[in-house]
Amino acid sequence: MTQPTRAPTLAHTPPTRSAIAERLAEIVGERHVLSRPSELLVYNSDGLPGYRRQPRLAVFPGTREETIAVVRLLADEGLPFVPRGAGTGLSGGALADDIVVIGLHRLKKIISLDVENRRATVEPGVVNLRLNKHVAPHSLLYAPDPSSEAACTIGGNVAENAGGPHCLKYGVTLNHVLAMTVVLPSGEVVELGSKVGERDGYDLRGAFIGSEGCFGLALDITVKLMVKPQTVRTLLADFTSVDQAAHVTSAIIASGIVPAALEFMDGPTIRVVEDSIYAAGYPRDAEAILLIELDGLDAGVSADLEAVRRICLDGGARNVKVARDDAERMKLWQGRKKAFGAMGRLAPHLIVQDAVIPRTRLPDILATIRAISEKYGVVVCNVFHAGDGNLHPNIAYSADDPAESERVHKAMTEIMRACIDAGGSITGEHGVGLDKMGYMESIFSESSLNAMCELRAVFDPERRSNPGKVVPVHACKEWHAVPGGRLRVSM
Amino acid sequence: MARRARRPFAGEHVSTEAVVSAIKESGSNRTPLRIAGRSTWLDAGRPVRADKTLSLRDDSGVVSYVPGDLTLTVRAGTTLDEIGRVTGEHDQWLPLDPYGSNDGTIGATIATASAGPLASSFGFPRDLLLGLEFVNGRGDVVRGGGKVVKNVAGFDLSRLLTGSWGTLGVITEVTLRLYARPKVDRTFVVKLRGTEKQVTGLLRAFRGAPIAPFAMELLNATSARALSLDDNPVCLIRLGGNAAAVDAQIKAIATVVKVDEVADAMWSQLRNLENGADDTIRIAALPVQFVATSAAMLKDEMPGIFSYVNIHRGVMRIFTSPQALTVAAGIPDGRTSVDLRVSSENPGEGVVVYEKLPAEVWPIVSPTVISDSLSQGIKKAYDPHGILNPGILGD
Repeated sequence: MTQPTRAPTLAHTPPTRSAIAERLAEIVGERHVLSRPSELLVYNSDGLPGYRRQPRLAVFPGTREETIAVVRLLADEGLPFVPRGAGTGLSGGALADDIVVIGLHRLKKIISLDVENRRATVEPGVVNLRLNKHVAPHSLLYAPDPSSEAACTIGGNVAENAGGPHCLKYGVTLNHVLAMTVVLPSGEVVELGSKVGERDGYDLRGAFIGSEGCFGLALDITVKLMVKPQTVRTLLADFTSVDQAAHVTSAIIASGIVPAALEFMDGPTIRVVEDSIYAAGYPRDAEAILLIELDGLDAGVSADLEAVRRICLDGGARNVKVARDDAERMKLWQGRKKAFGAMGRLAPHLIVQDAVIPRTRLPDILATIRAISEKYGVVVCNVFHAGDGNLHPNIAYSADDPAESERVHKAMTEIMRACIDAGGSITGEHGVGLDKMGYMESIFSESSLNAMCELRAVFDPERRSNPGKVVPVHACKEWHAVPGGRLRVSM
Repeated sequence: MARRARRPFAGEHVSTEAVVSAIKESGSNRTPLRIAGRSTWLDAGRPVRADKTLSLRDDSGVVSYVPGDLTLTVRAGTTLDEIGRVTGEHDQWLPLDPYGSNDGTIGATIATASAGPLASSFGFPRDLLLGLEFVNGRGDVVRGGGKVVKNVAGFDLSRLLTGSWGTLGVITEVTLRLYARPKVDRTFVVKLRGTEKQVTGLLRAFRGAPIAPFAMELLNATSARALSLDDNPVCLIRLGGNAAAVDAQIKAIATVVKVDEVADAMWSQLRNLENGADDTIRIAALPVQFVATSAAMLKDEMPGIFSYVNIHRGVMRIFTSPQALTVAAGIPDGRTSVDLRVSSENPGEGVVVYEKLPAEVWPIVSPTVISDSLSQGIKKAYDPHGILNPGILGD
């Protein structure tokens, strides 16, 4: 393709930062544009520690129209940007390296709730838990429940294809989104999927979910809601060995019972939680606990509860405690959901991995992780979604200590290798972002990565939406040659 | 301990390499390919412009199956029957029951995103697919997703290929999520007699009742008769799970209406009804709209028109022969009656999906479904020579 030769006139000089800030302010109002480095500090990281990138500008549209106008302005100027929800992501996906951040947290309208048909349409900045509180009086719920549910947004959940403890039974974000209105990086607005749940043609909705902000921004999202289960029962089983708990996990899955959630916490995690304000009453001397939730119809749940209790006891559990009421259930869950928060007691930074392994490999991978942690002299805590084999080995450390950082990163790399070798995936719910890009070539061939690049290039031919994430640029065959491929980052 | 199931059968492998060379050859000669599984539905009458057929029927067999992981990787030419047999040995199943018989291949099922009554509780092919391998129109072997049950690594090529009707790539291998077979799996029939109002009330009661059926379909009288169930519309209900859960649901339904147990085979008979049909149309609307309209639809019976409604999903399937449509609509030229039928029954903001039509009807009724710029861009990137099933989704 030949590019028209351009005379070096003023019109083609990249606009200055202040000129862009002014024009963005005309769209969203001055107070919703940040351009001073001190103001932008808040946006120089997300939930992933150890990575900082300073954005050039941050803009916070308050309406759908403003969002479209912002995207179109950036398209006209050829400027790259990073969409950002609540910034709770754990893969560095929301980091903006000297480019524009489009923060979507002001788009927080619940546009419609259709109780009878069990669906809701929301703006991308609606916080996950707020949607659930909004629909709860109608005995409905939105199933995906990432641990950051109190802060993370539905738009962010769509970008990351977020999961959570209850996706073991109910599926991840992908399985609960029916339709979206999306503004592509070019400024074009398209409808993906359909509110009635059926559509002919390519599943563009499926392709968009989990695209980590590289395909554009969702302006509204229509989700399925579920009827609250008639009964929910939560069990806590404690073990004197990690191995026993791992085998019991496999046994429950193999039994055919699909718990609503099946969570695993090891001894070090239990003790950190119990020392924190999130203490849940877990037995401090246990080496592992399983938090198991069963839900459904009364009669069915009682039968499954008995079966699960039996499997736990047969597998060596010391005690199996069943929460007596909702207050007790909530307390048991709080310890799990706030476990990462509790780790803050140990050290200033926490590195969390998100690998997934085949479920039968749980006992041997946990043993491998223990061996690796001993080799590098680091304390690995394991708190994870055991039911679907989604591990979250994590290490509390100080990123400011170079020697410690190196040992931690070496240990984490070795753990990831072990999971890949076991036939697993590098990420189950946190996304690739910046953090796991280096592993993409270990699990995908050159042509598979190239197919991903090609898909991205259809949604975002200029690669301006969340550039430099998910797929390593060098893996994209066609990209090197394209003249427009070089991003204009100067402002 | 994980036990790797021995490979129970290994069809004659056409292999991914053979698919690659067939595609490369077609690419260089510009000879379009018709992609086929076992040709049970083939193109659903769609107008494919192809010179040659690339069949995956001989590329079958299990690649890996670890029952404890509840995942299964098979070659694309493996039939649903074979999958049922292999997983059944371990008391597991793939809860996917597309209309038609189980002779079809898993590759075709994924490529056409075909689902059946069980989709209301277990989801669509997109929900059961964990990963796949395909060969794109340039002959590159591409993998999307993986072999574990939860995975967000990379852009989602598995969803992209599901329902793409072979136009983006030839699916050669798939990895699926399995479930343990329920301890109890029983099927019941409710005979729907009475006024439209009564039926509407009953359907609403079902939606609100403490029941979670595996499947629940309303059948019009023509379908009910074909299955020797009744001369009136019926509701077929499949309940599964542990014995206590199933018993409680039977009780809950029995408080509203009389139920009779029927053989499980009723479901495969229902799915097989469509085998002889020339037309199959799927209409989707919001579930509650359907509760209101389906009662009327069931009562307003036209001879030869088979239809069933899935109340949970809000999906109605209509299938018949063109002759019946002609008679029903009272139009001499039966071909265009499909449109009339659909528009008169399409409630509110519904979506109409034409699944199967006589070849000559496609150009009349079927809109091009990949005409938007994103779909066109993807098609061009994945099949630059336009050799994969050209025309099957319109142009």
